[in-house]
Amino acid sequence: MVTIMFYLMAVIALGSALYVAGSSNLVRSVFMFFITLFALAGLYVLSLADFVAVTQVVVYVGGILVLILFAFMLSGRENLEGAKQEQNRLLSVSKLPAILLAVAFFIVLTNIFLKARPDDGGWIRQAIAEQNVMTPKNISINSLGVNLMTNYLLPFEAISILLLMALVGSAHLSRKEDTA
Amino acid sequence: MIAAVSHIDLQTVTYALAAVGLPLVGAVINLLLPGRSGKLSGWISTLAVLLSAALASLVFGRVWNHDALHVQQLWFTIGNTPVNAGVLLNNLSVFMLLLVTVIALPVHLYSTAYIKPEEQNRYFTYLSFFCFSMLALVLVDSMVLLYAFWELVGFSSYLLIGFWFMRDSAVQANKKAFIMNRIGDIGLLSAIIILFTQYHTFDLVQLFGANGLIFKSTIQNGMWIASTGQLPEVWQYVAFAGIFLAVAAKSAQFPLHTWLPDAMEGPTSVSALIHAATMVAAGVFLLGRVYPMFNDVELNVLAIIGCFTAFLAATIALTQNDLKRILAYSTISQLGYMIMAMGINAYASSLFHLATHAFFKCLLFLCAGVIIHEVHHIKEEHQLDIDAQDINNMGGLRKKMPLTFIATLIGCLALVGLPFTSGYLSKDGILIQAFEWAEGKALWFKIIPVGIFITSGITAFYVARLIFKVFFGDLKLKEILPNVNLHISDGSWSFRIPLIFLSICSLFPLFSFNPFSYEHAWLFEGFKAGNYIGGQSIYHQFIPISISVLSVLIAYWAFAVYLKQRKLVLSPDTFLFKLSYNQWYIDAFYKQVIVKAILLLSHALYWFDRTVIDGFIQLLQQITLFLSGLAAWTDRYLVDGALNLITLLVKGIGNFFRGFQSGRVQYYLFSMLAAVLAVFIIKLLI
Amino acid sequence: MIITLTHYLLVSAGLFSIGIYIVLSKQNSIQVLIGVEMMLNAAILNLVAFGKFDKVNNAGQTFALFAIVLAAASTAVALAIVLNVYRRHQTIDPGKINQLKD
Repeated sequence: MVTIMFYLMAVIALGSALYVAGSSNLVRSVFMFFITLFALAGLYVLSLADFVAVTQVVVYVGGILVLILFAFMLSGRENLEGAKQEQNRLLSVSKLPAILLAVAFFIVLTNIFLKARPDDGGWIRQAIAEQNVMTPKNISINSLGVNLMTNYLLPFEAISILLLMALVGSAHLSRKEDTA
Repeated sequence: MIAAVSHIDLQTVTYALAAVGLPLVGAVINLLLPGRSGKLSGWISTLAVLLSAALASLVFGRVWNHDALHVQQLWFTIGNTPVNAGVLLNNLSVFMLLLVTVIALPVHLYSTAYIKPEEQNRYFTYLSFFCFSMLALVLVDSMVLLYAFWELVGFSSYLLIGFWFMRDSAVQANKKAFIMNRIGDIGLLSAIIILFTQYHTFDLVQLFGANGLIFKSTIQNGMWIASTGQLPEVWQYVAFAGIFLAVAAKSAQFPLHTWLPDAMEGPTSVSALIHAATMVAAGVFLLGRVYPMFNDVELNVLAIIGCFTAFLAATIALTQNDLKRILAYSTISQLGYMIMAMGINAYASSLFHLATHAFFKCLLFLCAGVIIHEVHHIKEEHQLDIDAQDINNMGGLRKKMPLTFIATLIGCLALVGLPFTSGYLSKDGILIQAFEWAEGKALWFKIIPVGIFITSGITAFYVARLIFKVFFGDLKLKEILPNVNLHISDGSWSFRIPLIFLSICSLFPLFSFNPFSYEHAWLFEGFKAGNYIGGQSIYHQFIPISISVLSVLIAYWAFAVYLKQRKLVLSPDTFLFKLSYNQWYIDAFYKQVIVKAILLLSHALYWFDRTVIDGFIQLLQQITLFLSGLAAWTDRYLVDGALNLITLLVKGIGNFFRGFQSGRVQYYLFSMLAAVLAVFIIKLLI
Repeated sequence: MIITLTHYLLVSAGLFSIGIYIVLSKQNSIQVLIGVEMMLNAAILNLVAFGKFDKVNNAGQTFALFAIVLAAASTAVALAIVLNVYRRHQTIDPGKINQLKD
């Protein structure tokens, strides 16, 4: 069961990601990204990180993507029209270096993963031996909350300051200029 | 080394040197005076010559017919040869000394009135310098010094002929005189060198004295043998040729006589002193000095040339219209007499004639000067366009200038050689000795005395022509200015005194108490050879009578032609007239052949210098320019090119790499990621 | 077959590569932003996959949360910047904004 779900989510994620990559239309790519993010949320759930999945949907999808949508939709038609005039071919020469680089990266990364075999070595095995693995029966959110307030308090506070700065910064950056 | 001399002798030598030095002092003073001193310079020079004359007469009195005085000092040494400088006072020296100073004195006096006051400074500087050179010439005892003063005399003549250098004709004349004199100088120098090579001495006494080296040398088997060495015989003849060239140049003999008529461009007083009496006599003087070295052949050559020149010049003088030129040709003719006399062994007569000729020729020139001066006044006063020296413009001056007429008449009578004049004594002496010399020789030798006889006749004619045309008849100037009262007179006392003095000297009492016999003249007795036997042949009576009668007849003939207007002897169109008028075309020949050849040579050399030598330099210049152009090209293209290449390379590489900074973010990102990937791959593979 | 850790890692690698491709080859800044988001998501997936093996500290999942928050903040600022860029250059094509070139 889990297997099928996993493959399904994976295919949906990768497929929509490919669509995002291949489409030159901004609106379509944004909406396909939606789907990618949802698929990723599903994968998180399968990885027994349900809180993260929900956070992903709420913050990422509901916040960031909506923000992007608003940003470009309110900025005028020129972008959309400019985007339409490009070549829609998937395999154009100007994109070849990027494709090559992406493929190369994928190959390298895969090589690393396959060689490293994280399943077998290091602290994973130790964690399995110590029963440190999350099970579906755990309620992760309890431990998450406790850890957040005790172990990871400093990063927590730091992040809040950072959020503040980001807020102020982006508000200031996007103010209206007095002179036209 | 000074020879041991007594007190009196030393004094005499000092007087002689002072007589020479005084004109030099005068010249130096005149040189240093500013140009506006005018008459003062004239009086200074005249004073110097007066003192010089006084000293000369003193010296003459002491040395004449006494032992010769010879004083010398070491001048310098070259190698093993000492060259001495000194003074020789023998009969010849003191005679010339006295003659020159006594002639120079009236000329100086005359010049003070003749030359314009603003020009007198320069004139008297030159004239005094000439006097100094001439006096020194006659006194020196060494061939080297003789040559030096010979040249100085020629140089002074050059300065004085070209005195009025603003006139082009004067400049051409003095150039011609100097160049012809130079030819003579070359001859003299060659002769001196040859004599030195043979005898190893320059001293006149050692060479030509009574027991001199010349007397002891002989010519045998084609070799010229002397006690000091021997040379092939031809060198003796070459030495003679050199001396002869010098004499011909200085004394205006054929072929180097053409400068003397042109030298009349100078002031008349200069012509009187230099070109009548003294400088031209220097040639004869030289002959007198070196007389012992001539052999018979050479003496014959002298006689022939002298006779021919006398004849030539006399014929030319027949048709000349310029007063001074007639006198110039007359001078050449009389010099020919003197040279011929030297050639026929009449040494004493030659020098006697030199003295008498000096007086009467100087007199004639000074008279001519007065006449020309007066005609020139008329010309300037009435602004006429006439030649003041042309005798065709004169006539009938006998009444207006009586003193000048009488003086000229006396001079002309002396020139012709009529009795009671000094000229009679000297000239007839030459004629008689010429006939005696030709006696007993082959028939060809008779040409010489006969030629001289004929020449004397011609002399009478042209002299008479001169007198009749200038002093008799009507004044031709009156035809040009009929209504004007022409004022011509004898001139001031500065003119008259010299004329009177010289006229007196041209008469016989100065030279001999017997007006008819030349052998009793004290001058002749002073110079005659020791073996002279006088008064033997019938020539002594025959010749004087015949020549005097002939001269009178010819004078009457000239009278008939020029005054009574009977037909002229030769019309101007005949060949002989033209030949005479154009000076036998000798001058024209020289101009065409010699002068043109030399000018051609100079043009050729100029062309060579311009084209070849300068062309060669130009070639070098072109080569240098080409090489420098080549170097510049190399520098610009090769050296700079290499540098430029490097810079281009660097720029190219820089530009190439600059292309990476395209400013596009995605490219930057791409390269970053590619680098990271490369690291990963390397890590993987290693 | 059992889904091991490796599968998750492969998916994350794929997503990452695609994200790189999007960043490098898109001519629209907002699409580039999406590419960046995708790369971030791939990393977060990695974190979460490894986070399964840490029950005690929940380091993986906590880190994932932080990453999401940071991604959000950076996206907000990036959008503000894109807005400014648009005002200045009247275009959001990253290839055309090349004034920092040499």
